[in-house]
Amino acid sequence: MRLRLGFLVLFLLSAASLFADQAAGTKKRRPLPDEFGNVVINNYSQKNNVAPVVFSHWLHRSKYSCRLCHVDIGFAMEVNGTGIREEDNRKGLYCGACHNGKYAFAAQTATCDRCHSSGKEVAHTDFAALTSGYPKGRFGNNVDWEQAEIAGKVKLIDTLPEVSVKRKPLDLQKDYSIEAKIDGLPQIIFSHKKHAVWSGCELCHPDIFSVKTGSTKYSMQDIFAGKYCGLCHGSVAFPAADCQRCHVKPV
Amino acid sequence: MHLVLAAILLVGPVRFHLPPLPAREAYGNVLIDRTTASGPVKAVTFSHWSHRTRYTCRVCHLELDFSFERNGTEITEEANRKGRYCGACHDGKTAFGHTAEHCDKCHAGDVVTADYKKVDALPWSLYGDGVNWTRALAAGAIKPLASLSGDVGGIQLDRTLTIEADWNFVPAAIFPHAEHERWLDCANCHPSIFNVKKKSTRQFSMRNILAGEFCGTCHRRVAFPLNDCRRCHPTMKNEPQL
Repeated sequence: MRLRLGFLVLFLLSAASLFADQAAGTKKRRPLPDEFGNVVINNYSQKNNVAPVVFSHWLHRSKYSCRLCHVDIGFAMEVNGTGIREEDNRKGLYCGACHNGKYAFAAQTATCDRCHSSGKEVAHTDFAALTSGYPKGRFGNNVDWEQAEIAGKVKLIDTLPEVSVKRKPLDLQKDYSIEAKIDGLPQIIFSHKKHAVWSGCELCHPDIFSVKTGSTKYSMQDIFAGKYCGLCHGSVAFPAADCQRCHVKPV
Repeated sequence: MHLVLAAILLVGPVRFHLPPLPAREAYGNVLIDRTTASGPVKAVTFSHWSHRTRYTCRVCHLELDFSFERNGTEITEEANRKGRYCGACHDGKTAFGHTAEHCDKCHAGDVVTADYKKVDALPWSLYGDGVNWTRALAAGAIKPLASLSGDVGGIQLDRTLTIEADWNFVPAAIFPHAEHERWLDCANCHPSIFNVKKKSTRQFSMRNILAGEFCGTCHRRVAFPLNDCRRCHPTMKNEPQL
């Protein structure tokens, strides 16, 4: 009996080890360009017999900075992390900060479907038409958003008078390089300037990245797992598979 | 009895059952019948060897977003005609177009339509499609295009890994990044097939590879097959059996 139990434990342990590093081995389906960055929000929708909301980052980032929604309006960076309620929206919070008839269509009976669209065939902004004039990128939405902003194709609104407090911008730090851990792999160049256009300072500091040089330790594994740079670069901003966008400085 | 059963469960079969190899002109062919299986139009047999003389893997599997899995790409005739997927090249300019007179060239059912003669003179290999593509490329016998958009500034990481085998009578396998980079983009393999974590290689067992994971994603049906033991285990002494 003891022997049998011993083998059972051994078997379970070996089975567990098979699943330890399971996030590798096979190719995953890549989202289509118009699916990349889409988020289904379903805190209360289905409980109230309403279709969940399909939020598309590509549509919103063609007009607004990341900072406006994720800092000033206060959206979490995690799916369903905000707990948005219809009554909050109607009071001018969250989606309702813009979707009030002044900046964007208001939440009315006729417009419910435009956001509460999961599982429905709803007429929405044509992805191909919106992005056709933008510089092409290799991954994600197949749009180089950074260049689109520099070229003036995308003009970002970074503040709203109702929710934002305008203040003097900080002087930006210079670009700096981060050593890659593998010999022969080009160094990473991190540009504060390129990020601050979209994210300001507060989106990353101090929660995701401490501000003390060298004190935040992270690896490519962490990034692929959605931490640090991978918080945005993977699900919304160009994915980490676009190696050459960051690993740019030859050694 | 329980002891024997448990031992079999834990150790598994010792012999590897390599998948049977088809004729060389059929190796790497993919029957695409996602939408045609029940309709009046015949399925497409796609031949890898006829395409890889002109294009590297990354052109189709990265730029054109073809899945690595049969029928895993939502190819439609409409998308092709709009210049996506096959239509990116099969547009009447780069390669024959999506017009009525050419339908049969691809939609021919489960038969090979490409002419094997065009690869017959390339450096040969005993296994797979009969071509040693690494040598063909190195010798300049083929000059496959690496990008349709001119995006070829990939990372050159000349790093050859040595992967120790689990069994002490099997010599180590080597993995040359450089050879793979000539055909592929980093993102073709990283991070979904191979995460970049050091010392995570214990997962790359022959059993998993034979099941189509890791190296077996390509080296089973398209790139040289696993029967060609010495291509990866270069110091292996015994000639593997055919």
